[in-house]
Amino acid sequence: MGKKRLTMRRKESIYGYIFVLPWIIGFLAFTAGPLVFSFAASFTNYNITSQMDFVGGDNYQGLFTEDSLFWTSLWNTLYFVAFSVPLTTIGAIFLSALLNQDIPGIRFFRTLYYLPAVLSGVGVYMLWMQLLDPGTGMVNLVLSWFGIDGPNWLFDPDWTKPSLIFMKLWSVGGSMLLYLASMQGVSKNLYEAAEIDGANTWRKFFHITIPMITPVIFFDVVTSLIGGFQIFQEAYVMSNNGEGGPANSLLFYNLYMWKQAFTNFNMGYAMAMSWILFVIVFFLTVINLKLAPRWVHYEGEEK
Amino acid sequence: MNKTRSFILVLAALVLFLSGCAGFQTSSNNEEANKEENPEGKTVIDFWTFWGSEIRRPIIEKIIADFNESQDEIEVKHTYLPFGDVWTKELAAIAAGDPPDVVINDINATALRGQKEQAMNLSQFLEQDDISNRFYPELWDATLYEGESYGIPFNTDTRVLFYNKDAFEEAGLDPENPPTTWAELEEYAAKLDKKSDNGYDRIGFYPLWGVGYDVWLLNANGQNYFDEQNNFQIDTAKNEDVLNWLKSFKDHYGEDVINSYQAQIDSQQGHPFFSGDLAMIVQQPTFYTQIRDYAQDLNFGVVELPEYEEGNGHTSWGGGFVAEIPAGAKNPEASWEFIKYLTDVEAQTYWAVQNFDNVANIEAAETAAESTEFTEDGTMVYQKAVENMEHTLLTPVPVIAPDFSSLINPNMDEFFLGSMTAKEALEKSQKDVESLIEKNQ
Amino acid sequence: MDKTTEETDYLDSADKLKSIGKTNENPSFLEHRGNRKNFLTVINFFLLAIGGLLILSPLWWMVSTSLKTMAEVMSFPPSFWPENWLFSNYLRTWEAAPFTRYTINTLTITILVVIGNVLSNSFIAYGFAKIPFKGKNILFAIVLATMMIPGFVTLIPQYVLFAKLNWINTYYPLFVPAFFGSAFNIFLLRQFYMTIPTELIEAAKMEGANHFYIWWKIGLPLTKPAIATVAIFSFNGAWNDFLGPLLYLNDENLYTLQIGLQVFKGQLSTQWNYLMAGSLIVLLPVILLFFVFQKYFIQGINLQSGGK
Repeated sequence: MGKKRLTMRRKESIYGYIFVLPWIIGFLAFTAGPLVFSFAASFTNYNITSQMDFVGGDNYQGLFTEDSLFWTSLWNTLYFVAFSVPLTTIGAIFLSALLNQDIPGIRFFRTLYYLPAVLSGVGVYMLWMQLLDPGTGMVNLVLSWFGIDGPNWLFDPDWTKPSLIFMKLWSVGGSMLLYLASMQGVSKNLYEAAEIDGANTWRKFFHITIPMITPVIFFDVVTSLIGGFQIFQEAYVMSNNGEGGPANSLLFYNLYMWKQAFTNFNMGYAMAMSWILFVIVFFLTVINLKLAPRWVHYEGEEK
Repeated sequence: MNKTRSFILVLAALVLFLSGCAGFQTSSNNEEANKEENPEGKTVIDFWTFWGSEIRRPIIEKIIADFNESQDEIEVKHTYLPFGDVWTKELAAIAAGDPPDVVINDINATALRGQKEQAMNLSQFLEQDDISNRFYPELWDATLYEGESYGIPFNTDTRVLFYNKDAFEEAGLDPENPPTTWAELEEYAAKLDKKSDNGYDRIGFYPLWGVGYDVWLLNANGQNYFDEQNNFQIDTAKNEDVLNWLKSFKDHYGEDVINSYQAQIDSQQGHPFFSGDLAMIVQQPTFYTQIRDYAQDLNFGVVELPEYEEGNGHTSWGGGFVAEIPAGAKNPEASWEFIKYLTDVEAQTYWAVQNFDNVANIEAAETAAESTEFTEDGTMVYQKAVENMEHTLLTPVPVIAPDFSSLINPNMDEFFLGSMTAKEALEKSQKDVESLIEKNQ
Repeated sequence: MDKTTEETDYLDSADKLKSIGKTNENPSFLEHRGNRKNFLTVINFFLLAIGGLLILSPLWWMVSTSLKTMAEVMSFPPSFWPENWLFSNYLRTWEAAPFTRYTINTLTITILVVIGNVLSNSFIAYGFAKIPFKGKNILFAIVLATMMIPGFVTLIPQYVLFAKLNWINTYYPLFVPAFFGSAFNIFLLRQFYMTIPTELIEAAKMEGANHFYIWWKIGLPLTKPAIATVAIFSFNGAWNDFLGPLLYLNDENLYTLQIGLQVFKGQLSTQWNYLMAGSLIVLLPVILLFFVFQKYFIQGINLQSGGK
């Protein structure tokens, strides 16, 4: 009996490895090499074309002790992540709840709300620069209908990051898709049972829908956190000359790294930056993973 | 279900067939590239530019076709890559050891690319074939790292003052006597302002639309922040004065007015100068092509930048592009032949006239200024641009501190936002850049 | 009844599975009887409509710009309605570069990427979610970690790697990696597999099914909405990818739509009307695809196609 179980477990393991094998092959073939290279080169003065001498921890030390822009960019990025992740998550859940209903034209509405997530590229950012125009832009126009004197958005260092967060909220359609997909998996029986108990709409939402989609909420939080730390393009396009202004308020971590890597050609330095970012994000993700069992509910989990 | 499956099969087959499978051929493509020769035994030169627009593409391709016909050894193949990204790709290709043969790149970073050995040292060719005197000396100097050239100037630009003649007339100013000093500029601007109940119907002038504060510092000082010995100097009484002068315009018009116009200009659509809502603006001469295309009826003039005070000089600022051979390119001799053709009088004149663009070749620029293909306005602007080259300075990226401006600009932003005084901003910039230089040394 | 073309075999097989697992049927959590329900529906409808207008209004600017002449685009202040509705701009846009060719190229890459992502990720994710094996947690941590390193720093070494493989100027660097899974999709599908009751899989095993069979016959059909999501995301990603094709393709005949759109962006000025027209044309297939595909995760509450 005991022996049979052991082979069973081993058999399972073999299956497990076969299933994840494609990823392992892909990782070793395409990803591992460049990653190892970038880690090794972070200890050199690598400039892509002509030099790659070992400099020990100089890059790391320089970042922490001599580079004020490093700290500025880190602060900007943390600010952005701290606000955009919770806001977009809540926004997307709310939106998908609205869109997960039996309403005339729902397919049309879903497509509509998903649309901004598909739009990409410079055109969209230029569009937002126009919308956020403090004088004639639509955003301040709408605010003025409610008697609000809108801020200077992209011209005021205190409002640049909120501008981008606002923009992110416009395109929560991507996450909405995840939640919609996940809400499909919630069993109808649960709702019916709750209705018999006399639960109202909100109660059902908070006590059935939310718990049942926690796996996807967890996914969304983890991936938007990782993605949030990588914010780049928006700031690159929307600040003057891609410099991250005004007053460095849009100098995000990746933008600064990009400048070091591709304008100053300090690739070794940029690689050191990327590994520091890695450690920060990894640490936050581990916290997330550790906290997950307290609130993420997997229906399929063994009790 | 079978229907679905067969549909997908047909779709896949169709896609593969239509794509001609070109995207799936590895070996043949590469063999071709490594052979460096086409079937007729010619050397093939890969030429990367960012000129893909409907206007520019035919012009550069005509030049290439002319070159290909002019001899039977070299065949130039043009590839368009989007502006900016073309250089990321170039860098990757250099790192992989298989770069293109000739690339158009930013002139101001040429020395830096020379230092990093991204671009090929061209002195071996220049020793036999010195073409340096074809170009404006300021442009040529910008291509040098330790006295040796790493790129050949192709085109350039400068900054001039465009002004609305009708507005001048309306304000009682002589349209043929535009401002020549900063004091006049300020005075004229005030006269050109047209206030209405809810703001301005016309703004006279705002110095920071079209150019940055750095151009005004350059204009006032007649020199760059860095001298030949790499000494950096920004914290001066004169600069403090310049900054305060610039700021006085912002205080005059008010934050809201400035921001609103700025947002419009940044969006690159709808320019207040075209509609007469702005009477004067500093721009590149090529700004004329937009006036020509989008505001035909505008009655405008063009003049060199006013000087800080009389006798100080009308120093202006420019940039441009070079043709370079990336390090590790396979056919440098053939590439050099092509670059020579590209920067010679005939090709340069053709480019200048067809594009209305400033070129690096002096003779070509002067020939183009006489071109009968321009309209009266066009000739006026082009001649002014060519004249202006003698006041025009470039600001090559200093090898010792390539990113110094990222330390200055935030301080200047703070100054213009009112959270720092000019003195504080300059002092901090001076200190930050000095420590950067020290760190890099 | 016609099956929609995008439907693939494994998605079809879900119907047969209704006896094994739970179905995806899901009513609105707001479902009520009688007036109250109607009232809520009306409120929600208007809420969505107003929100939709807010979402759409920025887009009006794109549409309106795409129909203007450049002179009108450049006029100040900007006009809300185009003076003349120049639908011919769309034609001119299409002719400004070989866009037909670019569409075929983009479609080729995109289809391959979608196929690769759907197949590989669901397979890999099943392993991570439902089979216990040694080192799983560490491997999964590495999967997540690959998302955390910014792409810029691996861009150059990765390019060099593909150059060594002789893959420059081919589509291989753009779609082959998709067949080996991507962290985002693996993680996503893993989350969905985790919600499949373990008893279901145990039961299948009792009947002698191995994991391949279970994945194919239970895992895939039950995660249909998630797979549809992966397909849509992958389609979007590949369709809108700019840096990848730009880096790896040298021959202009192989270029994609996103590179093609760049021709309207000059160094000094941009042809906004054509750029916007082009962006909208490029957007259209993605939107259509979504419109059609959404039924895979919206079964059970489909008002429009009452006959289905």
